[in-house]
Amino acid sequence: MLAFDGMSEPALNFERDVELLRRIADRDRSAFSDFYDQYSGLLFSIALKVLNDSKEAEDVLQEVFMQIWNKADAYDQLLGKPVSWAVTLTRNKAIDRIRASQRRSRLLEQATAEAVLPEDSPSANERLHGKENAEMVRSVVAALPSDQRRAIELAFFSGLTQDEIAKTLQEPLGTIKARIRRGMLKLREKLEGFI
Amino acid sequence: MIDERMEEQAGLYVLGVLTPEETRAFEATLQRDAGLQQLVAALRDSRDALAGSLPQVTPPPALKKKILAQIDAQEKVTALPATAQRSENQVIWLPWALAACLAIFCLISLSQQKALRQKNDDQAKRLASLDQMAESLRNETQDLKQKVASLQETNRLAGLRIAMLNSMLADSPKAVAVSLWDNQQQRGVFVVQNLKPLPVDRDYQLWVIDPQYSAPVSAGVFQVDAQGNMRLQFKTDRLIESANKFAVTMEPKGGLPVPTLKELVLMGG
Repeated sequence: MLAFDGMSEPALNFERDVELLRRIADRDRSAFSDFYDQYSGLLFSIALKVLNDSKEAEDVLQEVFMQIWNKADAYDQLLGKPVSWAVTLTRNKAIDRIRASQRRSRLLEQATAEAVLPEDSPSANERLHGKENAEMVRSVVAALPSDQRRAIELAFFSGLTQDEIAKTLQEPLGTIKARIRRGMLKLREKLEGFI
Repeated sequence: MIDERMEEQAGLYVLGVLTPEETRAFEATLQRDAGLQQLVAALRDSRDALAGSLPQVTPPPALKKKILAQIDAQEKVTALPATAQRSENQVIWLPWALAACLAIFCLISLSQQKALRQKNDDQAKRLASLDQMAESLRNETQDLKQKVASLQETNRLAGLRIAMLNSMLADSPKAVAVSLWDNQQQRGVFVVQNLKPLPVDRDYQLWVIDPQYSAPVSAGVFQVDAQGNMRLQFKTDRLIESANKFAVTMEPKGGLPVPTLKELVLMGG
């Protein structure tokens, strides 16, 4: 997918986000505001998915954006795209919070329930990559074998360890690792060039 | 070439489920392996796309304001220490700095004393103002009391029975009297003019005619002066409910319990 000047849209987004972070590191409030407008929906959705509590998700989002404001100069492109950095920050803070709040048993109960993505709800991808690409991503995610998708979602959103995921899904640890590997590689293969 | 195990580790790494030890070991390898870096970057994109396929929930608009306010507050605080840079000669200036601090402290104390004096003056003025207000309220209260008394008086007067009594005698046609009866107080005032003086063995007797009694009720006896005038404050022997009429008769000295009515002098109502 090409935009203009021979650069793909993901590449343009990457350049724009790196520039935003550079300006944020220079204490540019308007750049921070733009970055917030661009990604707060995605990051909030992730925090909410992990915590299942909008107030706690708001707290996490506040912590994440304060860290972005204070540590933008520590951003390293080796850590991935700016949005990947923010996604990792959000997920880790939400997981830390859920672990700290001693909600393990509740967390395990939630994890055993099958995650179902609502078909009609607009996603963060729609805003970030356009409706057409978002549909494509949704169809790729939906097309993943359910056991692979389930293992990946538990790993990323639940805060469970590898052993706990294996126990929850009642499979050997090796099987879980293999499912995650196959699922992640399939996503990469199908989404290459679109995100 | 990335083997299956490293692919597995890469997947677990981007999903954040490697143990701290595994993470350190993987990152050490990652630093040296450009191919692995590319794979990790691609897997991160996939992970982000997976996260982006969640139904998007927009955070409340107030949250952005809250975060921006926190940033503004933080920037104000962090801007302050910029001027506090140390110099090598700082120790030399320390006594002067202490002296300056003492001077500033004195100035602040003086300033605070002045402020306290000002505050005391203000409070004294305020107290005086409150006294004036209290006096004014007292005056107003007195006025109100007077008004209430006046209204009570008006109300009392409204309950007065006023009667004009005319002469019933052919030889004293100019004789006239007014009777004021306060039913609430059960007392009255009687004023008469141009009534002829009586012999010493006779008295004029005032009567109140109340329908509840079969006979008039005596209100006392009186004499007039040489000009035929007299003013009398009177009460009745019995309780009066309604003073319909008043009458004056000539009776033997000291009066009678019931009037003879043979010599009716004045009557009216």
